[in-house]
This record gives sequence, structure tokens and C-alpha cells, in this order.
Amino acid sequence: MRRTLRLMLTAAGPYAPQFRATLRISAAASLFQAAAYATFIPLLAALIHEPVRTGRAWLWVGVLAALVCIEAALRVREMAFTYDYWHLVTQTTRLRLGAKLRSMQQQELARRAAGDLTSVVGSNATTAAGAISSLSTLFIQLVAVPTVLGVVVLAVDWRLGLVLAAATLAALPLVRQVQRRSNSGFHETDEADAAFSSRIVEYVQGLPVLKATGQAGADSPRLTPVLAHQHQAQVKANRSAALPVAGAQLIVQLALVALVAIGSALALDMRLSPVVLVAVVVTAARFAEPLSMAAVMTKLFELSEAALRRVDDVLATQPLPVAPGGQRPSAFDIRFDNVTFAYDGQNQPTLDGIDLTVSERSLTALVGPSGSGKTTITKLISRYADPQHGTIRLGGTDLRTLEPDELLRHIAIVFQDVYLFDDTIRANIAMGRPDATDDEIEAAARAANAHDFVSRLPEGYRTRVGEIGSALSGGERQRISIARAILKDAPVILLDEPTAALDTESEVLVQQAIDRLVVGKTVVVIAHRLSTVVGADQILVLDAGRITQRGTHTELLADRDGRYARMWAAQLAARQWHAGHCGVARAVCE
Amino acid sequence: MNKGGLRSVMDLVALAPATRARLGRAALLAVVGGVVAVVGYLCVAFAVGELLSGRRSGIAAWTTGALVALVTAFAARWRAENIAHEASYALEVVLRGKLADTLARMPLGEVQRLGSGPIKKIVQDDVKSLHNVVADSLPFAGSGVAQPLAALIALGTVQWRLLLAVLLIIPIAVVCLSLLSRDYTQQRERYNQANESVTAAVVEFVQGMPVVRTFDDGRGSFRRFSTAVGEFTEAVAGWLATSRASGLLTKLFIVPLPTLLLVAATAVPMRAVGWISDTDLLLGLLIGAMPIEAVAPLMHLTNYINDSKAGAVRITELLDAPALPEPEHPRDPNGSAITFTGVRFSYAPDRGRPALDGIDLDIPAGTVCALVGPSGSGKSTVARLIPRFHDVESGSVRIGGVDVREIRSDVLLRHIALVFQEPFLVTGTVAENIRLARPDATDDEVHAAAEAAAAHDFITAELPEGYDTQVGERGALLSGGQRQRITIARAILSQAPIVILDEATAFADPENEAAIQQAIARLTQGRTVLIIAHRLNTIVDVDQIVVLDGGRVAERGRHAELVAAGDRYAQLWTRHEQAARWGLATSDLETATLETGR
Repeated sequence: MRRTLRLMLTAAGPYAPQFRATLRISAAASLFQAAAYATFIPLLAALIHEPVRTGRAWLWVGVLAALVCIEAALRVREMAFTYDYWHLVTQTTRLRLGAKLRSMQQQELARRAAGDLTSVVGSNATTAAGAISSLSTLFIQLVAVPTVLGVVVLAVDWRLGLVLAAATLAALPLVRQVQRRSNSGFHETDEADAAFSSRIVEYVQGLPVLKATGQAGADSPRLTPVLAHQHQAQVKANRSAALPVAGAQLIVQLALVALVAIGSALALDMRLSPVVLVAVVVTAARFAEPLSMAAVMTKLFELSEAALRRVDDVLATQPLPVAPGGQRPSAFDIRFDNVTFAYDGQNQPTLDGIDLTVSERSLTALVGPSGSGKTTITKLISRYADPQHGTIRLGGTDLRTLEPDELLRHIAIVFQDVYLFDDTIRANIAMGRPDATDDEIEAAARAANAHDFVSRLPEGYRTRVGEIGSALSGGERQRISIARAILKDAPVILLDEPTAALDTESEVLVQQAIDRLVVGKTVVVIAHRLSTVVGADQILVLDAGRITQRGTHTELLADRDGRYARMWAAQLAARQWHAGHCGVARAVCE
Repeated sequence: MNKGGLRSVMDLVALAPATRARLGRAALLAVVGGVVAVVGYLCVAFAVGELLSGRRSGIAAWTTGALVALVTAFAARWRAENIAHEASYALEVVLRGKLADTLARMPLGEVQRLGSGPIKKIVQDDVKSLHNVVADSLPFAGSGVAQPLAALIALGTVQWRLLLAVLLIIPIAVVCLSLLSRDYTQQRERYNQANESVTAAVVEFVQGMPVVRTFDDGRGSFRRFSTAVGEFTEAVAGWLATSRASGLLTKLFIVPLPTLLLVAATAVPMRAVGWISDTDLLLGLLIGAMPIEAVAPLMHLTNYINDSKAGAVRITELLDAPALPEPEHPRDPNGSAITFTGVRFSYAPDRGRPALDGIDLDIPAGTVCALVGPSGSGKSTVARLIPRFHDVESGSVRIGGVDVREIRSDVLLRHIALVFQEPFLVTGTVAENIRLARPDATDDEVHAAAEAAAAHDFITAELPEGYDTQVGERGALLSGGQRQRITIARAILSQAPIVILDEATAFADPENEAAIQQAIARLTQGRTVLIIAHRLNTIVDVDQIVVLDGGRVAERGRHAELVAAGDRYAQLWTRHEQAARWGLATSDLETATLETGR
């Protein structure tokens, strides 16, 4: 309870004072509501009295009316929070989350799946705001009103009060059970839903083969078991959660009958005024409603708390610490001294005692099988995470002493998967240097072999990427991203096999663009095709997180049994492979 | 109320007659429960009334009546809820099955165009979104009307004067209900739009974060993000402003206290002159608020319907998607030669250039034909017309002399093995994945296929449980090269006489590349092969190379002939050689001049 309140206050951020005030107003409104119901006791006493005590009755009607009006006024103020702040809370939450994403450690960012973060900033933010604005006050009302009424009845007649107390005590564990059961039920149905979702994706992608083998259609063996399981999970979750809810509701109904029965018996023995009984019955009828809402509410509360927790979780992340004493680097050689690094949650280090030096304005190639640590080295250069042992220096400055923005100012990365933003082509290129002039942008685009095709687009550099989306080929997108890097003109360039997935025609243009990008820079490239890095100043062969060979192409080839020489031979063989039937015959014969 | 939305949901319910019948039963039970509950409260009032009037005799009977009625009402209601929920879950199964069926009958190209993500959203999320309406609202709409009606009738029968007092609140209820159930179409649309764009901005901001970090000082992308967030805020503010009045009215009047106050206030003078008895008063207080309390669930129904309307419409659209026409008198292909005659095809017939424009192609059985050309030239379209991902607009595609439209689509697909760039694996074991192409294949056949696909070794040596190793969702636990070899093993196992390869080695790393090439060599042996290739060195020996440009055949012939012709292909070949020679260097002088050949 207290934890949820704390989560809410955190999520409310700058609106926490208004939120607190609203909670107080809500509590007050609920007290007045309970008091209004309690008024029926003296009111009925006056009305049922023989003769009717009209004056007294009018007095209590007046009190009742006043209480109803006060409650209404308070409810109006309570609701004002929803109408005035719900969207603002959503907005600030999203902006705060956005700022966190910007400063979060890259490793943390990668660890949280993109889809997950998207839903935190997207739907979780609105759910959290909804929890703050409406659910919290509803909760107060649902708990406060019956509690106060219970106390009032107890005060009026302790025996009838005990009946209600007994009913509540019997119902409470059931309500709590609803919570537990629906939690596990949700969990199971969520899993079943996820399993079915992934199956339907498979089904769609595999339709050609499934159709060919008669496994498509409503009774596809790929779908039916998962669908059946999903159905079972739903039915089971519903049954297990519905039972305690029903129990609780039944108890409330029975309590009403019990009140009448016990009350009548007492009254007949003259141990209870029938008038009190009437008043209590009217009041007790109000107990049923909150309890019957318990099930629906439980679900909402659970969802909201999960959303609040996830929002809080992201808001609580810390950026990488920056050690004092950072000197702005003026030279751009890169040094790894005995660097050992393991990703979060892994025991096995991905890099194990790496020593390397990339001198300024030189080209270093990283080669080796997938999983050998090539990408990790480039990630650490951009301070994706800090190594557990050893130091990495840029121009002699320990990366740990550099602000992330300061470090990244000196680095341009060309990724294998190009990411373009839904903005104009100009804006996509200008990201590299927001104050660049049109001429500078065009020059960068020309150098990246992008100017020609950009000029042919209907609105040239003002064309929005989102509108032409798939009309841009992979090579064209890659060239825009290279123009971005050229414009940034950073002294250090990291390349991750940027031409791997391109067709021949694009490939040459992208290659030329890269040639222009890397002139005079300090370059680290991850290469799959060894032929592209024959001219490197230094080739590092990685295997299982260690550097097993280093040298120039010629030096490495000299070791005929070395890993590099074997990779080189394998690639030559692959390049000579032909897919004709004569070629087929040859390959099979070998 | 939203008629269109309700209609589209009801239409979907009608597709599952069993569900509809069960919902009807649930509704009936709910009505019974609602009415009997009123009877229960009536009994409570009478029991206490007996007590007040000093008669002992009736108390026990009325109390028992109350007990029986309230428990019955409760049981009926509970049963109704259970039936409704389970009927709704059953509806989900029926709809998902029907959707799976529709997908299986649609042209594969159309399925591909929709995309697995949006289809998943319809089949899983949209179907699920019907639950609130189908299970929680529809069956209880009846009791939402019947119970307050019963309450009013009971009150009217026992004491019509109090009924009049309660009716005073009805106009307010009607106003609230009409205000609230108004579908603020404009605001809703603006909200949905803003919501979509905020989602898109969030996705972009999150996915593009690595680029944002290295290239953006935070101004550009964060501005787009914060603008979308701001627009969402405004859209919400607009909606909140228009719905504020009705929201307040609901909060203030669609609750029991105002009605009870009204009953109490009118009861004072009526009691004073002796118009109403104690029992009447008690009954008025117990059931007088029922009509107003029934309004809230009806409002929820409207909201739920609005929420699930869009989903219901999307489900209906998909269910209504036209099926690929199946032949009335199916024929079997006679051999595996592939022939295109004057094929014309457009993705969007009404506008733009056709994707293929007068393609003639002749691939004799047992030969290899390679398609080359720039992206967008129509290579993939040619490949996809053979398994009928789409049907031609004019002209014909024949296999073994038989038009593909005269072949049953499952038979046609059995004749063709498709190996795409992106290997397709399903959750399950390695063996299951290979066997997918021929479910009745023996273990030996599966192993032989894997061996031919250069996969047997890594399966037995590197995977923890060999052929029984789980590959994870879409094969996530395997490397790209391993996945590709398993799909090739599957294609080999299928024994399809025609093989279509689309860029099958594009993403392989060098060490896998050789193995995959070997696997492809075995797969293509003795079959009719169509290959889409970007790396031209892989196709220099094929029987026929067809160069496509802008949906037409620009050139065709063997490698040597085409190079000699000095035209399109020769240019591509020069480019290819140039690309293969490329080497990185940081100084201008050394660039791209290194001999990397042997």
C-alpha cells in the first residue's frame, strides 16, 4: 500500500503536491459520504417513530442534504485533478522517461528490449497517470466508506455491528485471494497469449510450406495446441478468480439476511429497537457494491501497479558515472590496456585481457568468428559500458573521465542496420551537425554519393523519409547515413561491415562513400570479408575474447597454419563458387 | 449509443452460433437474477415491516423468502457471468480459427503485404479486445434494463407515491446517459491520431537511440519526440474539456445518495400525513436507487463498444479478404519446366507502372536460371508469381505446360521449394523444423537431408541434444548460417522438383558461406532452379541469365555471351569486379587499388 503510494508520488513528479491534496480531498469526500449514509439512522428513527417526529426528520433531511452537497463539492474538486492534470502527468512522465533514455547506460538500454521500453514510454505512462488521477481516489472511496459505516453501526448497536464485522472478516481473505489468484491467472494467460502471438507470426511467415503440407487452416497442427492451451488458461484464470469474488458477494448477501434474522430475534425480545434495525439494514445494503467491484478493481490495480513499477524502474536508472579529472582529448589514438569485460549477467568475459593500440589516422580491422568479441571492442570505444578490468583511453584520456556527450562528439559510427528518422532527408543528414548550412549538407551528400538520388526525389532534401519509406533502397539509406557521418567530421570512425547486405550496384557507391569518409581518420572496422581490409595498417584476429594474431595482411599470411591464413583460404574458395550445374557438380565432387 | 460498433461486434458473434446461444442463456439468467434480487429486497422490507408493525408471524417467512431470493439471484448472476466469460473465450477460438483459415486461402502475396506484425495484432489483440463487450457487457445489458424496471414496478405496486419521487431523478439520468454515450467522433479520432503518432515517436526514439547518441545532441530527435508528446497532451486536453461536464454530472448524480435524499425528503411530509407505511419507506430506500445504479453499466457498455469497434472492423475486413481462386477442375503439372508468356503484373493496378510488363521466360526442366538486375526491377516478383503469391494480370505462368491457376495451390506449393534470404524456422526441435516440409518423413530421411545440407555435423556435434534440440522462437538459439542450412535441409527433404532461391547466402558470415554454398549445390542438383543473385560470381556457370530492368527483360544469355555483348550485364559485371576489389584505407593514395585476387 505504502509502496504503491510512493510509486505514485514519484510518478506524479512535479504534480505530487496537487496529487497529495487530491488524496486528502478524496478522503474527506469519502468521510462525508459515509456520514451521509449514517444520517439515515436518526432520520429513520424520526420517521418511524409513532407519531412521526416531523421536525426532527426535516432537520436530519437538512443535514443529509448538506452532507450530500459537501461531498459533491469535494468530488468536483477531486475530479478536477483528472481533468486538469492527467494529460500533464502523462506528458511530464514521458519527457522524464525520454530524458532517461538519453542518459541511460547503453548496456542497460540494450538489455531492456526495445519493445519493452516502447511500452513503458507509451502505454505504461498513460496507465500510471490514470492510476494517479482516478484509481487512487476510487480506492480510497471503496475502502473508507464501508470502514466508517462499519464503525458507525458498531457504535449504534454492537451486536449488529459484530454481524457486519464477522461478514467483513470472512470476506476479506477472499478478496485477498482474488488478488493472488488473478495475479497468477494473469501471468498464465499472458504467457499463453505471448505463445499464441509468436505462433501466429510463425504461421503467417511459414504459410507457403504449411500450405504445401496441408498444415494450414483452422485446424493447423501448428496452431491448435497453442490455441487450446490459451483457451484453457483463460477459462482456468477466470474460474479461479471468479470463485472467491462470488464467495465474497455471497457473504455480503447472507450478512444482510443474517442482520434481518438476528435483528428481528433481538427486537422481538425487546433487546433492540426495531428502528435501529431498519436503519442498519438500509446502511448495510451499501456494503455490497464495493465488494462486487473488488474483482474488476483488483485487475485494474494490478495493471496499474505493474505500470507504475515499470515507469519507476526506468526513472531510477543511473547514467554511467563520470570520474573527475577528464581532459578533453586533443589526440585521437585509442589504447586498450589489459581490458576484460563481461556483459551484465554473464560470468564468461566477452573480452579477456585485451591490449591494443590504434594509432591516430590509422586503420585497424577486427576479424574473427561471430561471438569472438569484435563488436564488443567497438562498443567499448563508445563507452557502451565500462570494462571490469583495465582501461581504455582516447588520446591518453581515460574514457571513464569523459562525459558521454563529450566522448561521442569525437566518434562517428556507421551501423550495419541503418536507422533513418521520420523527418526530412536534410534533417537526417544534419543530425551530424545541426548548425550546418545547406551547402555543407549538399557537399556531405555528394561525398557520400547521395546527392544524385536525393535531387531526383520529388522534394529533394525536404523529402520526408517516412513518406517515401520503402522507396529508398538499402544502399541509398546507407549512403544517407554515411553523409551524416561525413558531415559530423569526427576524428574517430567505427564501421560495422557496412556493405554486407547490399547489391552490387549499391555496393560500389557505398564503398566510394566510405572511402571518402575515412580519409585522414582513426578507423576501426569490423570486417567479414577479409578482402576489404587487406590494406589495413593492422589486422587483429579475435577468438573467444582474445587477440590471437595481429599484424598486416602480408605478415599474417606468412603464418600459413594461422587462423587468418585459413580464413583467407576459405573465403577465396567461397568466392570461386558457382551455382551452375557444372559448378554444382564440381562442388559435390570435391 | 454506437450502433455501427455494436453491429460489427454482433456480426462477429453471429459467426459462432454456439457462443451466441450461450450468451443468450447468460442474458436470460442475468435478467432472472436481476429481477429475483428485487424480490429479495422486497422480502427484506416486508420482514422488517412485519417487525415494526409488531406482527411476529410473518417475519420468519419473509426472512426465509429473502434468503432464498437473494441466494437464487446471486447464483443466477454468477452462473450468467461464468457462461458469458466462457462463451466469449470460445468465440475467440472460433474467430482465430476462421482467421487462420482465411489467411490460408488468401493469396500469399497479400498475406505478405499485410505483414506478420499487423496480422498478429488482429488475430491476437483485436480478437482479445472483444472480450469486454462480449463477456462483461452484452449479456448484462438486458438485466441492466430489467432490474431497474422490476424495481420501479415493485415500488409502484407497493407504493406509487414513492415511485413518483424516484422518477424525479430519471430525467437527470437520461441527460447524463445521452451526454456520456455521445460518441465524440472528432475528439476520439484526434486522440487516436495523436496516440498513434506518439507511439511512432516513442518507437523511433527508442529504436534510434544508438544513432541519437552518436549523432544527435538531443535537439533534433528529442524535439520530434517532445512535439508528439505535446500534441498528445493537447488532444487529450481537448477531449477532457468537452467531456468534463458530462463526467461531473455522472460523478454527482449517477450515484445512490441523491436519489436516496430525494426519497427521504419526499417521505417526510408523506409520513407526516400517513400516506406511506414504514415498509414502503424501507423499500423505497432499499431499491429506489436501483434505476440510477443501472445507468453506470450501460455507460460502460458504450465505452467498451467504442474501444473494440476498431478491432471488430479490422477482424471483419480480414475475414472478408478475397481468397485465391482455386481451380474447379484441377490438373497436375506435367514436369517441372517453367514458362512465362507475356506476363504483366501490377501491385496496384490503377496507378503507376506495372511491376512486370510483358515477361517471356522459358526455364527448361533441370536447368538453372538466374535473375539479375537493380532493386525494384522485378526479380522477386517473377519468383513470387510461380508459387502464386499473386496471379498475373495478363499472360500466363506455366509449370510443365499447365497454367499455375489450374493447379490446386497446395499441390503447386508441394512442387516448389522456396529458400529466402531470411531463413524461416518455427518453435520446436531441429527435427521438427526439417520435417515441416514432409511430416511423414522417417528419421533416416531427415538425417540424410541434413547431411546433404551440410547441417548434420553441427547438429550432432554442436547442439546439446542433436536433432531434438529446441531452436527457440523463430530459431533464435541458432546462428544465421545454421538456420539457413536447416531451411535448406527442409527444402531437400521436400523433394520438390522446382527450387527458388532468393539471396540465400547474403547474410552468411564467411565461414558459413562455404558450407551453405555446398548445401545449395546439393539442393539444386537435378532440379529446375530459379535463383535471384546479387553476387554475380555465384552465377557465372548457370544455363541462363536473365537481366531485368523496370519490369522487362533487358538481356538474356549465358555469362560469357552477355559479358561479350558489352551491355547491361557487362556493366553489372564490371561493377561487381570493382566491388570485390575494394579495400579500405585511410589515405587516398592506397584506396581501391590493391589486388586481392589470388
